[in-house]
Amino acid sequence: MSKFDVTVIGAGAIGTSVAYHLCEKGLKVALIDRGDIASGSSSHCDAVALICDKSPGLDTQMGDASIRHYKELAEKFSYDFEFDQKGCLYVCETESEYEAAAKYAAQQAGDGYDMSMVDGKILSEMEPFMAKDLIGGIWTPGDAAMSPYKVCFAFTAEAKKLGLKVFSYTHIYGIIQDEKGHVTGVDTDQGVIETDRVVNCGGVWAPDIGSMVGIEIPIQPRKGMNLISEQMERICWHKILEFGYMMSKFDDINFKRNVSPLVEEYNVAFNIEYTHANNILLGGYRGFRGFDIRSELEAMKAIAERGLRFFPCLENVNCIRSYAGVRPFVKDHLPIVSHVDEVPGYYIAAGHEGDGICLSPITGKLMAQLITGEGVDFDISKLRFSRFREQVAMGA
Amino acid sequence: MSEFFPDDMIVCRCEEVTVAEIKAAIGEGARDVTGVKRRVRAGMGLCQGRTCEKLVQAILCRELGAAADQVGASSSRPPVRPVPFGQLAKGVVE
Repeated sequence: MSKFDVTVIGAGAIGTSVAYHLCEKGLKVALIDRGDIASGSSSHCDAVALICDKSPGLDTQMGDASIRHYKELAEKFSYDFEFDQKGCLYVCETESEYEAAAKYAAQQAGDGYDMSMVDGKILSEMEPFMAKDLIGGIWTPGDAAMSPYKVCFAFTAEAKKLGLKVFSYTHIYGIIQDEKGHVTGVDTDQGVIETDRVVNCGGVWAPDIGSMVGIEIPIQPRKGMNLISEQMERICWHKILEFGYMMSKFDDINFKRNVSPLVEEYNVAFNIEYTHANNILLGGYRGFRGFDIRSELEAMKAIAERGLRFFPCLENVNCIRSYAGVRPFVKDHLPIVSHVDEVPGYYIAAGHEGDGICLSPITGKLMAQLITGEGVDFDISKLRFSRFREQVAMGA
Repeated sequence: MSEFFPDDMIVCRCEEVTVAEIKAAIGEGARDVTGVKRRVRAGMGLCQGRTCEKLVQAILCRELGAAADQVGASSSRPPVRPVPFGQLAKGVVE
């Protein structure tokens, strides 16, 4: 087997994008996964790229750049990943939520993003089947949806045209380093893959790939769960979330919602979207359950209850399936897109929690820029792996 | 399989997926029921693979020369049968 410039580990939304962007730079790339393409978190999630759920600053900047990049890729790729710039509504139940939403939208608009407030009347024109008592919401027309696993298939198919070698269903025994610690290869059940560099795109499993070179990557699995409806006539036209969703995402923003104990217990925040095949995806719940991705009946009840509050017409619509997956959670809610000081030739692109699909294109682009040594599109020093060591040193 | 099932035969009735499409998914790298499902939607419809799963498994075994236990099954997920969201929310299925 000939030598590769870079070996990417993990064929999810991040790994396939990193592999594609590296191939685009003319590098010789291998992509390894222990299973199929998109067999982990990227096929157990929902399907959106939003800026309206991002913190102002770097988070929004990356989201916005990623959506723009998605749009270009959708036009360029022959593999259709169902890109749909449907726009997003973030809806408010109370005046105090509306106030906070307006403040947030004004800040984002001030930073130059297309985000504005709509009142209850416009809301009911945009979404005639939605509950009529909502106060209004944030409208972000640029937000988009796509099929998350088709994104992975698309990146892989397009990268193969540029010479990518895919090793699916390949187990890794270890990462080989020279006497100076520099990466020289990956030992697998298909033989040794010689390589100058490795990019760990293992998502929730990234810590396992980290321990192979003696580093500790602080990513934990955080469970998410959704319900799927039968195929049906359109009842919603945009991605819609409740503003209380912020609450389940950021522990420091604490809106008190008027919800049942069950909804509270399962940290359920309403969100809905239609799919390309005309199913409805209804979410969502997040919780820490280790790697257990079984569906939880009580969480299903809570998601259905919360869904009905916003879309009463779901009452007689059939739920045909539930699904759950694990998201790579990092305590400071920022992904790791970085080299590793201790191990020359070792890189990490992981820890995007619920934003892996959204940030897939931009992460791939940035990682390819980091590896080829070109300038990166924006300052990503906050995403460095060394931040965890600094946080420990500072006693954080 | 092909001598029994023509390429244009529909395997997944809900999503109208043919033998030829399933073979193409296998050609793209699918090695199990879930891999086929994600590529061509076989088993993603109203019946959740009740009708087609065994046929998809048979096609996989035939194309890959694999044994039945190597091609897997779709993950079992509730609800067991379609249930209206209204009843699910109440936790009462009539």
